[in-house]
This record gives sequence, C-alpha cells and structure tokens, in this order.
Amino acid sequence: MAKRSIPGGLASRARFPTLVVFLAPALIVFTALVIIPVFEAAIFSFYKWNGLGPMVDFRGLGNYLELIQDAIFHKGLLHNFIIVIVSLIIELPLAMALALIVSDRKFKGAVFFRTFFFLPYMLSEVITGVLWQFIYHPQYGLVKTLFEALLPGVHPPALMGSPDTVLWAIMIVIIWKYFGLHMTIYIAGLQDIPQEQIEAATIDGASKGQIFRRIILPGMRNAVQLSIFFSIIGSFQVFDIVWAMGKGGPANGGETIVTYLYTTGFVRFNVGYGSTIAVGLFFICLLFSFFYERVIAREAT
Amino acid sequence: MKSMRISNIVRNIVRYFFCAVIVVIIAVPLYISIMGGFKHLGQLRAFPMSIPAPFLVDQYLDLLMGSKGSFWNQLLNSLILGIGTVTVVLVVGTLAAYALARIRFKLNGVLYKFFQLGLLFPLTVASLPLYLQLRTFGLLDSHIGVILPQAAFQLAMMIMLLRGFIKAIPIELAEAAAIDGYGHFNFLFKIVLPISTPILTTVGVLTLVASWNNFFTPLLVLNSPGSYPLPLGVMDFMGEHAADWNMILAFLTLAMIPAVILYVVGQKYIVAGLTSGAIKG
Amino acid sequence: MSRKTKLTAFVMAFALVAGGLAMADQVTVNWWHIGTAANDKAMLQKFADDYVKANPNVKIEITVLENEAFKSKLTTVMQGGNPPDLFQSWGGGVLAQYAQAGLLKDITKDVKGTAFGKSMASGVWQVYSYNGKVYGAPHDMGGITFWYNKELLAKVGYKTFPTTWDDFLKLVKKLKAAGITPIALGGGDKWPAMHMWSYIALRLGGGQLFEDTFSGKNAKGFENPTFIKAGQMLADLAALKPFQDGFLGATYNDEAALMGNGEAAMELMGQWAPNVEKDNSSDKTGLGAKLSTAPFPAIKGGKGKITEVIGGGNGYAVGKNAPQAAVDFLKYLDNKKNNTTWAQVSSIIPTVKGAEVGLTDPNAKMVKAIVDKCTFFQLYLDQFLSPAAGGTVNDAVQNILAGTATPAQAMAAIQKAFVAK
Repeated sequence: MAKRSIPGGLASRARFPTLVVFLAPALIVFTALVIIPVFEAAIFSFYKWNGLGPMVDFRGLGNYLELIQDAIFHKGLLHNFIIVIVSLIIELPLAMALALIVSDRKFKGAVFFRTFFFLPYMLSEVITGVLWQFIYHPQYGLVKTLFEALLPGVHPPALMGSPDTVLWAIMIVIIWKYFGLHMTIYIAGLQDIPQEQIEAATIDGASKGQIFRRIILPGMRNAVQLSIFFSIIGSFQVFDIVWAMGKGGPANGGETIVTYLYTTGFVRFNVGYGSTIAVGLFFICLLFSFFYERVIAREAT
Repeated sequence: MKSMRISNIVRNIVRYFFCAVIVVIIAVPLYISIMGGFKHLGQLRAFPMSIPAPFLVDQYLDLLMGSKGSFWNQLLNSLILGIGTVTVVLVVGTLAAYALARIRFKLNGVLYKFFQLGLLFPLTVASLPLYLQLRTFGLLDSHIGVILPQAAFQLAMMIMLLRGFIKAIPIELAEAAAIDGYGHFNFLFKIVLPISTPILTTVGVLTLVASWNNFFTPLLVLNSPGSYPLPLGVMDFMGEHAADWNMILAFLTLAMIPAVILYVVGQKYIVAGLTSGAIKG
Repeated sequence: MSRKTKLTAFVMAFALVAGGLAMADQVTVNWWHIGTAANDKAMLQKFADDYVKANPNVKIEITVLENEAFKSKLTTVMQGGNPPDLFQSWGGGVLAQYAQAGLLKDITKDVKGTAFGKSMASGVWQVYSYNGKVYGAPHDMGGITFWYNKELLAKVGYKTFPTTWDDFLKLVKKLKAAGITPIALGGGDKWPAMHMWSYIALRLGGGQLFEDTFSGKNAKGFENPTFIKAGQMLADLAALKPFQDGFLGATYNDEAALMGNGEAAMELMGQWAPNVEKDNSSDKTGLGAKLSTAPFPAIKGGKGKITEVIGGGNGYAVGKNAPQAAVDFLKYLDNKKNNTTWAQVSSIIPTVKGAEVGLTDPNAKMVKAIVDKCTFFQLYLDQFLSPAAGGTVNDAVQNILAGTATPAQAMAAIQKAFVAK
C-alpha cells in the first residue's frame, strides 16, 4: 500500500508500467518519425545516392564541400535571409501599428478590423499561392489590368516571370498572409499591459512616443519575442507558398533552401545531396535557436 | 480643448484610412476569387475586378455536383486527416505531457528536452528519410501515413503547451485526489482533463488548422488522387485545368470556405492558442 | 477438440483456401497515364473497359495525372520502390535509370521475335530498351516541330514557314513589329525552352556532334564551342523579345492556351501540340484549320540538315511487380485496332505498322512525313540523359534565357552533370 502512487506536483512517483503507458506512445511516434529520420538524413548526407538502389557510393565530406560552394544553395540561403529581414523590418512594424490602432477601445469597428485582418492567416498556403498567381498573371492578372488602366503606355511588369522580381512578388504574399498573425499576437500582448500605468504616465505628461518606448514596448516583450520567433522559423521553413508560386523559379529567382532541397532530392533523384542540404538547414535552425536563446530571450529576462 | 478635438478627428481619419486600405488589400484577392468563379473565361481575362455579367453558376455547380474535380471527396479527406491528427496529438500528447508535468522519475528532465528537440526540426529536413521510413512501415499512400508524421512533428509544441497547463494545476487539487485514493489515471481523467478543456481545445484547433493547410506531408506520402486533401487537390486541379481560371478560382473559393467557417466558429481558441506565449504567464 | 469443431475448422480452412484461389485469379493492374485532355481520357478509359469486359478477372485501376504532377509523383513512388504496373514513359535515360535500379519488368520475351515485337519498327523498341532488354512499349513516336498560326503569319506576309534561321529571325521581327507575340513559350516548365536550344545545337553541329558527345569522342562534351554558340544564338533570339510577357514563369499549359486562343503566332512542340492547344483554349476548339506545322529551320553554315529531327514519343513502361496481365493489357493497348483509333482520336503518330490509316489530321500526317524522312533522330535530351543531367540541361537553358548565366557557364554546368554519372 505504501508504494501506491500519489499524484501531487512532481513529488509523486509511478510504477514503471504506468510510466510506460503514459510515455511510450509519444516516445515511439516521436522517435520513429522525427528523431530517426533526422539521423538518417545525416547518414545519407555522406553518400552519393539516387534513392533507388543500395547506398554504396560513400563520399565522405564531398557533399558538404560541394554545398559550401553551391551557388544555388547560397542563393536559397540569401533569399531566406531576405524573407527574414523584410518580415522583421516591414511586416512586424506594420502589424504593431495595426495592433496599436485596433486595440484602442474607443476606436469604433476595432473588432471587425481585428477579425478581418486575421482571416488570410487561416487560408492554406497553397490556396493563397495559387490565388496570387492569378493576381500576378502576365496576360490576365490584376497587376496587368491595373497598370493598363492607371498607367497607360507603361509596360506592366510580369512579376512572376523574372528572377529579379519573383522573390518580391512572393514576399508580398507572405506579408499579406501573415501580418494578421503578428498583429493578433501583439494585441494579446497589449492587453496584458495594465491600463492604469499608461493613464498615470499620460497624467504625468509623457508623450505618446515616450509611453510607447517606456511602457508599451517593454510590456510586450513576450509578444514581440514570440512574433520574432514565429517569423524567423517560418521564414526558414517556407515551402508551400513558394512551391505554389513557381516552384522556386524562374532561374532560381524564388529558390529557398527547402524548395532546393525538395527539387534535389525528389525531382532530381539526388537523395544524398538533398540530405546534405537538409543537414545544412538543420544547422542554420540550430544556430538561430542558439542566437535566439542567448540574445533575444536573454535580453527579455 | 478645441484643438485637441480637431487633432483627434485628424487622427481618426488617418487611422480609418489606414485600416480601410488594409481591408481593401485583403478583400480584393478574395473578391476576385469569389467573383471569378461566376464569370465566363472571356470576361475574366478582360478585367478581373469586374462584376460577373452574365452571372454563371456553372463552375460552382460543376464542382459541387462532382462533374468536375472531386471537391467533396477532398473535403472528406481533409477532414479525415485533420481529425486523425488532432486525435493522435491529443491522446498521445496529453499522456506524455501529464507524465512530464506530474510524475517524478529519473529521466523526466532529459525526456522533456528530448521532445523539445522537435521544435528545431522542420519536417522538410527529415522528409527524404521520413519517406523511406514510411515505406518500411508500409504506410505510403495511406491517410495514416500522413496523420502520424503530422502528429509527430506537432508533438513538441503541443507537449510544451499541455505540460505548462497541467503543471499549473494547484497542488491542493492533487492532494485532495490522493486522499480520495486516486491513481494517476483516475486523476488525469477525472480531475485534470475536465479542467483542461480550454488548453485541449486550443491544442486541438491549432493542430487542426496546421493539418488542414498542410501541403508538404500529403504531397510526400499520397499518390492516389482519390486520397488527396484539399491543398493537394487544388494543385492537382490547377495542373489539369491550367488555363480555365474561372474553374480554378471557383475551386479555390470552395476550398477556402471550410477554413473560414472554422475561423468563425473557433476564433476564440485559435487566437488564444497562438497568443498563449505572448502573455507574461 | 471435439469432432464437430474439427469438422468446422476443416470446412473453414477449405473455404479459406478455395476463397484464396478464387482471389488469386483476380488481378489488378495499376495504370498511370497523363492523358488529361478530355478526348484522351475518355478513349483510354474505353480501352480499359473493353479489355476488362473480355478479361473479367482483371481489374484496371487508372490514375490520370497532369504531366508535371506525374513526374514528381512518379519520382516518389520510384524512390519508395513501388512502381505502378504500367506507367507513362518517354524511354531513354530516365527509363534506363529505373531499369538499372531493378524497378522495371523485363518484357523482352514478349517482344523479341513475337508478333507484338514485329508490329513495330525495331528502332522504336530501342527507345524503351536498356542493355538489350525491353522494359516498355511506345504507342506514339513523333518529332518536335514548329506549330504556327497561318492567319497570323499571313498578316506579315508569310504564306509558308521559313526554312532558314535568318528568314525565321526576320519573321519574328515582323510579327513583333505588327504587335503579335511571335513565340509562345512555357519557360517556367523549362523543357519547352530546352528543345529550342537543342534544336539550334543540332542544326549547328549535326547529328554527328550529338553522337560524338555521348560516345565521348567529343572530348569537351557540352563545353564544345558549338553547344556554347547554340546557347548564344538562343540568347540573341531572346534579346529580340519574341516570347510572351512573363514567359519565364509560364507553364506549358499557358503556352498551349496562347496558341489555342490565337494570341501567339507559333510554338516549338511535339506531335501532341494541337490536342493540348485545343484543350487549353477558351472555347475548347483550338485553331483548327488555321494551324500548320513545319520543321525547325536550317542554319546557314551549320552541319545539320533540316531533315534531322529531335523527337520522341509516348509509351508505357512496365513496373517490376506487374502481373503478366499488365503485359497482356499493354499488348492490347498497342494492337493495330487501338493504335489506329488512338491516331484518329488524339492525332498521335502511331507506332504500329498499318495504324497510320487512322491518321486523318493533316498536321499529324505532316509530322509523320517529317519523322519518316528524317536523316537523324535524337530523343528529347531531358529524357535521353539521366534525370540529374537532363534536369541540369533544363535549368541551364532557363538560366541563359533569364540572363543569369552566360552560355559558357550554362554549358559548363551541363557538362559537369553529364560526366558526374
């Protein structure tokens, strides 16, 4: 009887079979489908292998040396960084401005705006991508017809048809789809700031800018952190939208690490090298999370 | 005071103008999609913003009656994948989160860190070996083969959310349960689960949205068009009706509706789930 | 165990075995094809239905995939080691790679010396063979030609298609000046543009250049000056802006829609072009009698003749786990009667001897005449080479058109992939 498990905080213990019942399902699913594949990817990355026959052609670090010099990988990486940076300097401030507006209780229609701004986030990436492909369509799209109506004589740009503009065309869609998410996160953060504090500061004669810098921003630390986290991780893993909007082309103009990984591994039968790209992506994510823990999360605490 | 009022009015004008611009930017693509589905191809190509004239219901009817595409079948597949993934995440995740939150054992801390590793791996990193792994288990081209990886890659985040909540349940409740002679299972089912409805709903809705919108995993695993969920169906439909943009837009509009309904119904939980980390806990 | 239960067990076991035997007779054939156009789809469905009616023990499961979707889907099932029983194949290097990995069924005994084998010319079997063994059968074998809109060409004073490159460039400039998009190009899908470069190379270097490159006799491979010059000539053509706006992001279906709607004057495409144009046009009728076809023009000073053809066809490869019924069904698909119907319905260039009587479309007859008279035949490069090298050729040509690589850089990339094996 003394061994009977007693729940209560972490102080309680359980018999081994009980533990197994609780933890085994999660461990099995997680290990078999997340951990083992990641390890296997690491192994494949040392081979030249088309995924069809047995894996025999060991290349050592050959794939990694190739990756370091691979111009398309560099391009993908650069594009991923551009997406991160544009998200941070355009999308997040936009979301913040909107959050400040629509969380004002005296602002009529705030609930409508809030609800509506979040809507694109709910739509699947693929649906969004295909829809925007039509908006950008060089023969029938909105961009073209608007140019013809508003700027007659100016040749409308085919945004998806040039390696110089395709990334920006995709970027607009990313902002369109995700700014509502960040706005919503900020609204939640704003609600967490005691109203009295702001009122007291207003009475003390603090300007709006001062209030924003001294009270609101520090009070929203968690929200900002979370939104930065979502934005960076999301940017590095972006695939669906890009795939639906030109598969990384033309001429690698929209290529990201993940589209390159997919093309290499699944379209070109280069499973070994595809895995090398995957490992590269993993290290970049790891590096980032280190940076995030050390810099962004630490500053907060 | 008067100048204050005027500046307030100016401020409001600026604010409303700003919001109105954003509303238009969001609404225009949606408008084009909905209306485009009612148009004749010729009209659609002339100017995408125009109002349909004549107003054709053929495209939508063809899709809904199943003579073109397989909307209902794909909707059903999306539902199966969504509900399946939610079920796996909730059952497996809750059990693990409970153990990690409430049971003391040697490797508790290590195991929690182990699960957290999942946050670092996007599914795409492991896609090639994952594919081969599913082949070994004979799960390719089956819904289970989509559900399990989707659930596995959601587990890290969801265990984190659930564990946080379960950990925060007051000790006194647990002590009262102990006096009543409850074991862990009873405690979990009779006390923890009933008061955890909000977090369970949040985790459920988040998982559902992620699964609903997922394209990559089904693309990897499914081969038979009969088993495609909507996002994959959209790409497939797009390939087949390449130039018939009125058909494609009608399909897109239909495919958007379930997500909009889900949003209207589950808005509270979706927002709560996404923002739970935004508030100083 | 009482006697009664023993008896029940026995009966049950017998029932199971008998049931199993009955089940064993029932075979399923998985068939993946890419005939998404309405007439193709209906015709192929009917072929299957008729076969099943005559062979009730066979069940045929059809998967119809759009071309690009098919390619990516097939790659994943191949890597999963689980090929469909019968699937679309263009033969060549891609087929060879599957065969090498043991993913295909050797059907040589059904072909060599049999009536089935004799029903087609030995040359077409070559395309579906690897190391002397046959792994599939073609039903269509044609060439890539220029398809043009007679009405639009007439507007700028051209009654026939140019036979020389210089005249061709003149035509392009005239069309451009008249406000007509000269060439429709699905540059986003890459392979349509690739054909343009490979034809220029063929006209410059002749069939000999290709043969020497593959045999290794041409030591510089794709970095041979002729290939680079072909890249430069393509870049020069692109500088005239002959393609529709945004062509680099356009799909092959976009290209076909432009042709089918009379919005562009020409496209460089295989024998299926009229059918796909029709299916992608707004009114589903295509250009009809306004459409005509002609060989890729000759280039002054080039070693290649206008009679040398890049082409290929369509056929089905047989997956490694395919039951014999799949091979039987393949023979049925490619019998004279069906091949004739096929030629009638979707204007393929039939491979079965005598099936050409089904060809009623004048354009299809012209393509057939071009192929029949050809002095050199090269299979599509992206199918002829291994998937990795073929893919690189596609990328390289797109890079030339986008101006992101010089012709020399693009050829170096191809050569690297070609020798990497």
